[in-house]
Amino acid sequence: MSPEKIVILGTILIWRSMTAVINIRFNSCHSHLLHVDSSWTIEKVKEQIAAEEGVSPNDIRIIFAGRELQNSTAIREIDLGLHSVLHVIQGRKRNLSLQVETDCERGQGEVPETEKEQSTPLNHYYIFCKNECKKVCAGKLRVRCSKCKQGSFRLEQEPSCWDDVLKPGRIMGVCEEKDCSGDTAEFFFKCANHSSTEDESSVVLYLIKANTRNVECITCLAICDPVLVFPCLEGHSMCLDCFRIYCQTKLNDRDFIQHPELGYTLPCPAGCDNSLINEVHHFRILGDDQYDRYQRFSTEECLLQMGGVLCPQPGCGAGLLPEDEQQRRIECATPQGCGFIFCRRCFQAFHQGDCDQRLMDTASTTGYSVDPARAERARWERLSKDTIGKTTKPCPQCNVPVEKAGGCMHMQCTRCKLDWCWLCHSPWSRECMGNHWFG
Amino acid sequence: MAATRRLQKELTDLRKAGLSCFRDIIVDEKNMLQWQGLIVPESVPYDKGAFRITIDFPAEYPFKPPKVTFKTKIYHPNIDEKGQVCLPIISAENWKPATKTDQVIQALVALVNTPEPEHPLRADVAEEYTKDKKKFLKNAEEFTRKNSEKRPVDK
Repeated sequence: MSPEKIVILGTILIWRSMTAVINIRFNSCHSHLLHVDSSWTIEKVKEQIAAEEGVSPNDIRIIFAGRELQNSTAIREIDLGLHSVLHVIQGRKRNLSLQVETDCERGQGEVPETEKEQSTPLNHYYIFCKNECKKVCAGKLRVRCSKCKQGSFRLEQEPSCWDDVLKPGRIMGVCEEKDCSGDTAEFFFKCANHSSTEDESSVVLYLIKANTRNVECITCLAICDPVLVFPCLEGHSMCLDCFRIYCQTKLNDRDFIQHPELGYTLPCPAGCDNSLINEVHHFRILGDDQYDRYQRFSTEECLLQMGGVLCPQPGCGAGLLPEDEQQRRIECATPQGCGFIFCRRCFQAFHQGDCDQRLMDTASTTGYSVDPARAERARWERLSKDTIGKTTKPCPQCNVPVEKAGGCMHMQCTRCKLDWCWLCHSPWSRECMGNHWFG
Repeated sequence: MAATRRLQKELTDLRKAGLSCFRDIIVDEKNMLQWQGLIVPESVPYDKGAFRITIDFPAEYPFKPPKVTFKTKIYHPNIDEKGQVCLPIISAENWKPATKTDQVIQALVALVNTPEPEHPLRADVAEEYTKDKKKFLKNAEEFTRKNSEKRPVDK
């Protein structure tokens, strides 16, 4: 018997009476509608399909999200979501298969709020939909064959933890696709709010959870849903509003932590151990502009940690990794860079001799002529430098200009983390506390 | 806004709790970011007076700590003439967004009741406190009588 493939493409329209209409397409050439009720069991769906297609209901198996649906399962229990694919296989072996594709949409546009709540299944997965919704959305877990990337894949074993889903090669199964010998499952997530192609997957934000336990937000104390649960032992939770503000506040202070494996990230705000967010896509919640900024800071911090420097030329800021750690003369090489040659220690144009001495020298040097356009530009920079010079002091360790906006003499460098004294311009000590903590 | 939502809840809880050491809480509902209240210490030499403080919350609260300032003058080793106080719980390096304002107030009241002369803001007062306690108590009581506010009458 030659394998026969029946594709049923359908639109389930959920009416107030909770019925649905599936558009069935037979052999990819003709289609008809199948009316179902969301309370129907899979057994009943099989009977319907069997009757329509002239096959025995006992010969049909329906595979959804990598598992075979049991006869006793009701349609509303399987969380079809929007534009999902149901795979129907006829027979015990892979000689004949039916593929049912459902294209679900809430019927008639609007569903009354109360009905919506009843019909919306409890969501456990969240993703950041960067293409269409531009926000955190409910996500749908889907499975496909890791080899042929088709959804007609039957799992031998169900995933029971995040590792099963996130780490490749842990869950095996059988690909029902003709001529495919794939045996490894590949899980992916997609936005539940709109239709998307199979390859349009999103990274799952697995720290975001449905607040089924009604846990208070650690910051605003309100009970919100969903929440972000930090990976600390206590599992401190935060609502997404607060999480966004937390990220933004820390980003503005450039106070993220650069971790060699996890990347540029944040800990639980209660200061718990081992609480760093280990999937940086969670910071997508900052929005496109701020996420770009986050990525820039992240790259810069990574470079600085590797012993690199950033070109100090305004508008450039290129990351440079000098080969010689001791080399004080750094060139921001063209064409990638701007060509500026600077001193690694004071970030001024490269000079011979001591840094401070050199600065004083430039201030008094006037005996040469310069290009007027260049002079204009230099004047602008001079003014900025004067202002920075008047309002800031350099960090005693990394020389970054630091402005003191208030508070006590105890400074902490946001860049190199040195604790230092504004008055002594040296590392913070007991002596500083005793003599001039305030004042 | 996270700050307002949280402060609204903290204020409700605080008023419900009715702390005996922090009374007369005044908050302009239009600007939740500034609170006023009366610190009512239980220990000598401050137990004859009450001290008005303001708590200023930054817009980034609770991701940044509030600031506490004494509006009533107080003779205390840890509170300077401008009313500034150095409270570890609200210093930038110790601050945790989960810290609640009532914990801050409790820490402040504890500091008022039990000065810490080893971390002084007023070296002269701290020295007097450690070397001549009697003189310190006399001066502080005198200062409290002259400068502090009336203690609220108990219900």
